[in-house]
Amino acid sequence: MQLTNQEIKESNEKYDIVAKATSDTIWDWRIQEDYITWNKGIENVFGYKQGDVGATSKWWFDKIHPEDSIKMSVKLYSFIEQKTEKWQDQYRFRCADGTYKYVLDRGFLLKDENGKAVRMIGAIQDITKQKEEEQRLKLLETVITQSKDSILITEANSTDGKIPRIVYVNPAFTKMSGYESDEILGQSPNLFKGPNSDSEALKKVLKAIKDEKECLIETVSYSKSKTEYWVRFSMIPIFTAEGVLSHWISIQQDITEERKLETEKEHLIRELTQNNKDLKQFSYITSHNLRAPLSNLMGLLNLIEDIPVENTEMEEILSGFYKSTHLLNETINDLVKVIIIKDNPSMQKEMVSLAEVFENVFGQLSFQIEAHKPIIKLKLDKVPLLNTNKAYIESILLNLLTNSIKYKSENRKLKISITAEQIDRSVFLTFTDNGIGIDLERNGDKVFGLYQRFHNYPDSKGLGLYLVKSQVETMGGTISVESEVNKGTSFMITFKN
Amino acid sequence: MLKQILCIDDDPITLMLSKKVIAKAGFSELIITAQNGEEALSYFNTLKYSKDQSVEKPQLIFLDLNMPVMGGWEFLDHFITPDYDEFNTINVVVLSSTINPEDLAKAKKYSIIIDFLSKPITLQMLEYLKNKIEL
Repeated sequence: MQLTNQEIKESNEKYDIVAKATSDTIWDWRIQEDYITWNKGIENVFGYKQGDVGATSKWWFDKIHPEDSIKMSVKLYSFIEQKTEKWQDQYRFRCADGTYKYVLDRGFLLKDENGKAVRMIGAIQDITKQKEEEQRLKLLETVITQSKDSILITEANSTDGKIPRIVYVNPAFTKMSGYESDEILGQSPNLFKGPNSDSEALKKVLKAIKDEKECLIETVSYSKSKTEYWVRFSMIPIFTAEGVLSHWISIQQDITEERKLETEKEHLIRELTQNNKDLKQFSYITSHNLRAPLSNLMGLLNLIEDIPVENTEMEEILSGFYKSTHLLNETINDLVKVIIIKDNPSMQKEMVSLAEVFENVFGQLSFQIEAHKPIIKLKLDKVPLLNTNKAYIESILLNLLTNSIKYKSENRKLKISITAEQIDRSVFLTFTDNGIGIDLERNGDKVFGLYQRFHNYPDSKGLGLYLVKSQVETMGGTISVESEVNKGTSFMITFKN
Repeated sequence: MLKQILCIDDDPITLMLSKKVIAKAGFSELIITAQNGEEALSYFNTLKYSKDQSVEKPQLIFLDLNMPVMGGWEFLDHFITPDYDEFNTINVVVLSSTINPEDLAKAKKYSIIIDFLSKPITLQMLEYLKNKIEL
């Protein structure tokens, strides 16, 4: 026994030398006594100090991950009972710090003269790195196997002027094309070509293959059952570390649905554009046809003005005729303005002096201003120049000013204050009066609507604020309103300057 | 006062109105009318092949755009060809009810068109044209 221990000690030293060279952890188990010794590896690799290492197999088995331990012990005991020839196993072994390492454990048996296993010696190799790499590769592989896009790998070169032959297809490819992997391997992807395929696109692919450059095409492809489908098809060259082309990777996406939607969308846009054009022409023709006889009426009325009328009843009739014709003319002119604004989204802008604009507007309203003598406060000095369309800004201010005069309160003197301010690149025009106001709770959403009237005034057409808003928005601005009944109304217009 | 002007319009009331306003303004001695571009062209053909050397030609044309048989634009396209080169110094004023911005843009491409005015014809309009032509 003494000798044996000496032998063991010696052989342990040998193990340690070998183990140092291989970085393996060596164990030696006397089976009947259930006594195990470990070499330095148990400390170096797994972190167990000499004193922590148990001397029985239980200590060893306890360190094995619970998910692996049953399978491991079944294999191990069937080896000890000599039911199997060789023993090697992979399992997770718990380190001193509680983490697990993947190990490959290999061992052999020493038998007594009766052939009974008395001793087992094993070497544990830490394969955590390899395992992790394996798992990482497995995970990467799922990208290919689980992808909804077809993935093909082909050889580097073709011999027959076709796309190089296929060496791999993923399951999504089988689903998309109907071809099983084994019937398509060794074939060229030219197989998917059919009468409606884009031959120009195919030429592009062949050229890219010749040039060893990646390419992306869209074409009609044919499945095994000859059904057509649209694919977005890319070919990416793969080079070895030495820069030699080794394979092509092709990713194919079924874009049939996308194409269908796109075609539908294009069709719809074409139809809408045509309808819009037709409607525009219709509105031009209609307004022309309304304006033509109306201009005759206006011209004829101009002539009547110079002819003395003796009959008072006739005079009354003609006066009514005159008023109605002029009102009709105004209405149609306003409508024409709406049509023209809607048709002219991009108009000319220029630097305009706000003071000059107001001068013009006041000039056009001189009669009303003279009649009602409103108090007008102008504070425009912060924004002397505005980049805008002159005709539009004049029309906007004319409409707002006319409204203020038209809807002034009978109980107090009309006050209008107009201020212009600039913050960064935004110009704020505020237009406030003390008129009869608009009930915004009832009419808030309709203030700028077409043909919306809030007061029963005979010459109100419900067009002014609609035009104002259209013109402000055509110039890229915004307008908002605040108002209180019998207090007044305030409009805020914002432009980019 | 001009000697002769030509009004091309398919609407008899517009023509009647033009005649009355032009007479009232003392704008022209003679007013010739044509109901469409084709009639106007045949009037110019008559002038062209007339044996009478002293024949007067219009000094101004009032032209409507929307007319049956031959509209204003088609008329102009014939009128500016070499066939009518003895008349191509005549000023043309478009007088129309159109609001189509394309018409306005198109008018700028014809150097023969000196103005684009909106109906109806008025005394003020003729006054304005008088000044414009004399300038």
